[in-house]
Amino acid sequence: MAEPLVKLEDVGLTLPSQAGDVEILKNISLDIGAGEQIAIVGPSGSGKSSLLMLLGGLEPATNGAISVLGQDLRNADEDTLARLRRGRMGVIFQSFQLIPTMTALENVLVPLEITGAPDAKAAATRALEEVELGHRIDHYPAQMSGGEQQRVALARALAPGPVLLLADEPTGNLDGETGAHVTDLIFRLAEQHGTTLVLVTHSEALATRCARQIRLSDGRIAA
Amino acid sequence: MIAFAWKIALRELRGGLAGFRVFLACLILGVGGIAAVGSVTSAISEGMAAEGQTILGGDVELRFAYRPANEDELAWMNAQGDVSRIVSMRSMLSKGEERALAEVKGVDDAYPLYGEVAMSGGASLNDALAPVNDVPGLLVEPVLAARLGLEPGHEVRLGAGTFIYRGTIEAEPDRASAGFAMGPRVMTTVEGLDRAGMLTTGVIYRTGYRIRVPEGTDVAAMKTAFDAAFPEAGARWRDRANAAPGIARFVQRFGAFLILVGIAALAVGGVGIASAVQGYLTRKLPAIAALRTLGATGATVFLAYAMQIALIAGLGIIAGVALGAGLVALFGPLLSASLPVPADFTIHAEPLIKAAVFGAAAAALFTAWPLSWLRRVRPAELLRRETTGQVRWPGWPTVAVLVALAALFAVLVIFWSPAPWLVAICLGGIIGAVVVLRCLGWVTAWAVRRASTSGVAARLPTLRMALSAVGASGAGTPSTVVALGLGLGVLTAIGQIDANMQRMLNDQLPEGSPAFFFVDIQNEQLDPFRDKIASIDGTGDLGSAPMLRGILTHLDGVPAKEAEIDPAAAWVLRGDRGVSYATAPPAGSVLTEGTWWEAGYDGPPLVSFAEEEGRELGLAVGETITINILGRPITAEVANFRSVEWRSMGINFIMILSPNALAGAPHTHIATLHADEAAEGEILRTIGREMPNVTPVRVRDQITRVSDGLGKLGAATRWGALAVLLTGLAVLIGTAAAGEDRRRAEAAILKVLGASRGQILVNFALRSALSGLIAGLIALLWGGLAAWAVMTFVFDTTFTLEPLSAIAIVLGGTAATLIIGLFFARGPLGIHPAKVLRMAAG
Repeated sequence: MAEPLVKLEDVGLTLPSQAGDVEILKNISLDIGAGEQIAIVGPSGSGKSSLLMLLGGLEPATNGAISVLGQDLRNADEDTLARLRRGRMGVIFQSFQLIPTMTALENVLVPLEITGAPDAKAAATRALEEVELGHRIDHYPAQMSGGEQQRVALARALAPGPVLLLADEPTGNLDGETGAHVTDLIFRLAEQHGTTLVLVTHSEALATRCARQIRLSDGRIAA
Repeated sequence: MIAFAWKIALRELRGGLAGFRVFLACLILGVGGIAAVGSVTSAISEGMAAEGQTILGGDVELRFAYRPANEDELAWMNAQGDVSRIVSMRSMLSKGEERALAEVKGVDDAYPLYGEVAMSGGASLNDALAPVNDVPGLLVEPVLAARLGLEPGHEVRLGAGTFIYRGTIEAEPDRASAGFAMGPRVMTTVEGLDRAGMLTTGVIYRTGYRIRVPEGTDVAAMKTAFDAAFPEAGARWRDRANAAPGIARFVQRFGAFLILVGIAALAVGGVGIASAVQGYLTRKLPAIAALRTLGATGATVFLAYAMQIALIAGLGIIAGVALGAGLVALFGPLLSASLPVPADFTIHAEPLIKAAVFGAAAAALFTAWPLSWLRRVRPAELLRRETTGQVRWPGWPTVAVLVALAALFAVLVIFWSPAPWLVAICLGGIIGAVVVLRCLGWVTAWAVRRASTSGVAARLPTLRMALSAVGASGAGTPSTVVALGLGLGVLTAIGQIDANMQRMLNDQLPEGSPAFFFVDIQNEQLDPFRDKIASIDGTGDLGSAPMLRGILTHLDGVPAKEAEIDPAAAWVLRGDRGVSYATAPPAGSVLTEGTWWEAGYDGPPLVSFAEEEGRELGLAVGETITINILGRPITAEVANFRSVEWRSMGINFIMILSPNALAGAPHTHIATLHADEAAEGEILRTIGREMPNVTPVRVRDQITRVSDGLGKLGAATRWGALAVLLTGLAVLIGTAAAGEDRRRAEAAILKVLGASRGQILVNFALRSALSGLIAGLIALLWGGLAAWAVMTFVFDTTFTLEPLSAIAIVLGGTAATLIIGLFFARGPLGIHPAKVLRMAAG
């Protein structure tokens, strides 16, 4: 059997707060294979987004072992984690997280330039055209609607051709129609690029579009 | 409404002053600087006013150009009160082979009428100067005693006379009224100088009669009476209210200039003040939204926040005034010791009140725009967070109020200045510079933005990202250019002017300037003098001309004091001027209008006038001037105008008369000599030994004195410019601090996208350095232009860009922003992306 793309063994996450330490995730064990589409669902505060942060190497786990794309994340420093994500992992957030001082094109260019991709501009333009924003490449985030910003974020995440796409409530800030359009794009492009998709969502309807659902409750995998 | 707004203001202020550090820093620095400079100016002015009699040496002084008062004039003076006579001249003091140029002052027994001369050893002045075995005593400044190695009892020579050195002058009460000094002070008796043959007719000296009048005497009426009794005396009148007009004028003008520098600091600080208010209002959006939803009108909310800003501004102004007054109280005694005039370093209310008013006006001016949107914003916009408190068009009424405020500010600055024209021009320059810098900032941001899409940038991703960030709207590049560009530009201008002045002074020596001026060459000494000089190896061209001194009293029949003239030529009428006569135009002069008189001309007196000064005095060829020489008025017709190149340092005069006009007038000659530097010592020794009455003035020494003076002025101006720069840095720090959240978010996103900390650091460093480089280059551009204009139009010389100072300015700007940028990059670099992203997600 092929080595899973992502492997979590007995992982926990505890974060400090003013009221004392809070145990966010407990005893999470999980394998994700290449090409899978997985939804992580659960009520607010169940730890969905935190789990996604662990998968992206954006947050260090308090305990347990995490291996992503063949890299053991235990004891990996910030730069090692950044290099892990570089070109191989795309992340989309509920609040888009575009760089406000850069145009749509420049936002998409950034990961390509970090990886040193040849002909980055052409690749970024193509990525924006794929999300139907070829006509807005010179617009700043503030000049675009929420749906358009999320599509720029999607283009940015997919432009370097990542192996793994992590999406945290990508439609949470969008209206129904726009959200559906963005969702369609995410699934279509992930399939088109053969990218493994891990999607955090509240929406059961959206979760059912993924082949596998992982339900979190109070920081544990419920089923 | 007011009571409600007040309550809201106080409640909101409970949050503390955290967002107002830059606001307060800018206001405190600007107000503090103005208060300090104003206090120093007041201290000197008040000190001079209080000590007017001492500085002048009497209640009134009548100064005659190289003649004593005649019997009638002396009788008139004696009738007014106690009279003391002094004479002043330049001469060489020598001991053995060592000699030095000195400012000589001869005094009588009554000197000083006010104040006291302090000497080494504490002896009385009269005792020290009293002759022993017919050899008069002599005192010198400590610097001269050290240079000549003098010990009390040493025999020294002054001109052709012998004197006994008795000690050093530690304090001379009337030193400040003496004007520009070419050497250290030497003091002896009038009688001693007379016996040494130094007061013979034709020798260049001035006689001053100081009068102590009974209390309650109307000095102005006294002057009117003197003018009526002796209309042709050609005497210069000064009284205790105007004891040292040159110093007073300088202090007022330089003080006015430095206050402008303080106002420039306020103008730069205005950028920080406005952005601090904008940032504060952005943070207060939820509160503002709630107030509007609950029924508060736009005017009420505006008032509530305007009150908060006013309270904080009041705090800043009070702190600024305290800082200014405190600095002066702390350093006043130190400063006092190095001032040539007495100063009263107590607290003066007027400059502090003015500084407070300037601070209040600046705070109102720069906060009105960002505050104004509170009156116009709709509650729905606030609730939907559609607005971010960004500055936007405030509407015509607000703009009208702002223009009125700015005009009032300008009028106050000009009206309160002792040099309104200078201040008006400089203020116009500052406003122009801020506007131009802002525009250049926008243009540069646009250009950088374009550059970020170029092919070169595409090949260098890190550079492209930095260019894109610097050029983006909201990146603050125009603010950085203003904040840093004004102070750096002033420093550039000063550095370039200073370097060009030094170059001008130094470069001229080997090329066209003489090595020496010689004065007081008697008629019969002229030929032997030429022979002596010719016998010394290394001497070159020797030029000479007859030299008299006279006071211009009438311009085409109109008394000079009543004539309407260009102020630029006022100096020609102030005091006595050198006058000569000649049969042909001096070398290097070109007649621009009229004709020169024929050889042997014997008609009514004619005069050749320097063209620039003549036209500034409103003269025309064919009109007349009256000049008082040795108490004798000579009226001459202007025969021609001639161009004069003063910088060539050759012999030239404003007025050259036809020889017949001065026939029989006793006079001496002035000479210039070109010589190798190696020959200068021998020249000094030979002339000192053979012709002790002739005074050599070494040009190199005088240039050093002028250079030193310029250096001190430059240093004072540099301190002022540094204050502007400091405010600019405070604004930059404020801007960098305000942008830290944005940089955190950006760093987190870049990390998500795979950027290492090194890459992010390079990115942030590059953009900081780029914006500083741009500000530095723009400062270099406008500061260089300003320096070019000053050198070209004020000093009428060529301008060369001095590379070291220019590079230092550009590197300085780059380093400042880089250091600040790197300091504020530490936080974003070290942050875990998840923390930022979680906060952003709410």
